[in-house]
Amino acid sequence: MPLLEIRNLVVRYGEIEALRGVTCAVEQGQVVTLLGANGAGKSTTLRAISGLAKPTSGDILFDGKSIAGLGPEAIVRMGISHVPEGRRVFPGLTVKENIMLGASNRRAPTSEISREADAMFDLFPDIRKFTNALGWTLSGGQLQMVAVARGLMAKPRLLLLDEPSLGLAPVIVQAVFKIISEIRRNTTVLLVEQNARMGLSVADYGYVLETGRIVLGGKPDALWGNEAIRAAYLGGHAKVSA
Amino acid sequence: MDLALQLLFTGIGIGAVYALVALGFVLIFRATNVVNFAQGEFSMVAAYLMVVAVEAGLPYWAAFIVALLGMALLGVIFNLGVYYPLRHRTYLPVIIATIGASILLANSVLAIYGPQPQVLEGWFETPGIQVGPVYLDSQYLLIIGVTICLVIFNFWFFEKTLLGKKLQATSQDKEMASLLGISVSTMIMITFIYSAVLGGLAGILVAPVLFVSIQMGSTIALKAFAATIIGGFGDVAGAIIGGLSLGVIETFGAAYISVPYKDGFAFLVLIAFLIFRPQGIFGERVAEKA
Repeated sequence: MPLLEIRNLVVRYGEIEALRGVTCAVEQGQVVTLLGANGAGKSTTLRAISGLAKPTSGDILFDGKSIAGLGPEAIVRMGISHVPEGRRVFPGLTVKENIMLGASNRRAPTSEISREADAMFDLFPDIRKFTNALGWTLSGGQLQMVAVARGLMAKPRLLLLDEPSLGLAPVIVQAVFKIISEIRRNTTVLLVEQNARMGLSVADYGYVLETGRIVLGGKPDALWGNEAIRAAYLGGHAKVSA
Repeated sequence: MDLALQLLFTGIGIGAVYALVALGFVLIFRATNVVNFAQGEFSMVAAYLMVVAVEAGLPYWAAFIVALLGMALLGVIFNLGVYYPLRHRTYLPVIIATIGASILLANSVLAIYGPQPQVLEGWFETPGIQVGPVYLDSQYLLIIGVTICLVIFNFWFFEKTLLGKKLQATSQDKEMASLLGISVSTMIMITFIYSAVLGGLAGILVAPVLFVSIQMGSTIALKAFAATIIGGFGDVAGAIIGGLSLGVIETFGAAYISVPYKDGFAFLVLIAFLIFRPQGIFGERVAEKA
């Protein structure tokens, strides 16, 4: 049984059908990457899993249990942690406080949470010196580190990462992906990426989304050799230049 | 000089009341992005609860606790009845609902208690003490003391506790807070209870200085609202500094310039701020956050 299974998921925002029947699965211990152009429905898929978007129809099974329609607070307590697009680090709280709040889904004494947050800096040494800096003072790469660290504080069984490389300098992107390859030792990851090369480099499996549907799924090598992924990938660029 | 010291004391005393109500405004605004126009009514209702409890024969301290518990309950009802059903709407319906609630509260008290202003005794038997040239009224001393304690409590609560951090996180980004497992509706509930109790405390403390009347809520609320704008809207420290300065300014204005225009000075300062420094004293920080 896969850890996460999505069956024929449809999500509507008013008139717009953002997802038009998505079916995919994430096996325990894998890193699965969702690829696709802008507006293909990648973020909406993650938002539906974490409870931010209500499914119109279809089902989402986590560990065999349906979680479709549950609220985000309930879902994160079950062990799905969502690091959303744009990092969403609380601007008026310090880095340490941001990271500590990541443990809000479980009951633990504050002193223990504080210790765990300190330990998190071993995985993210670059942000250790900003422990007491307010969120808004950080750069994009640092914010991404804080956001991922905060997501990991939930001790998730499944980590949802939305566009971790967006807007970052190439060297920072490398650092972020190095962290993802370390996270995968303990945690299953569902990764959304526009950067197909980076996204597939850490993945065990990949899916390609196009206008709200999965058009292709396969091992990274197979996808990379496929014309369709190049089309989907280039399709994103074509829209930009049009 | 002696007069100035005396006025400073009185001004800070009345300013502390504005500061408490302003703090309630700011906390609800930060948690819900909505100005609660019934915040002043919280003060009025608490003062009447206090009058009722004292007339029922309760000792002063017990009446005080009963009134504050009543306010906590009002905070719960207010949240469930006014904010919660409209929480997914834009700010406008919520603001109108708070105005509606304010009218409802004022008229309910009017219907039950009638239009005659009531008198509430102060906490202490002794009216006050003379320290050098300044006469310290015991009720003003109480107001200042309680406000100092609350400001310290507020700082400790929001800066030093995890619950305070969760409340801050909720006010900064509700969706992200919910993704982390923070119960947003609980955080907003706590905010309403706390703000209702703060407003209530202000009303109970100021009641022996003023008359307890239906209008006292709107008068205090207007001043407190001016205080939040002077301090920088949405800023906790700003609300407190704004409230205190407003109290001092209007007391000095009344003494040295004109008593009938006492209320006018507060709004003159408000207008000056709106024209020359609309972001308020501490407004810059909000801009940096955005």
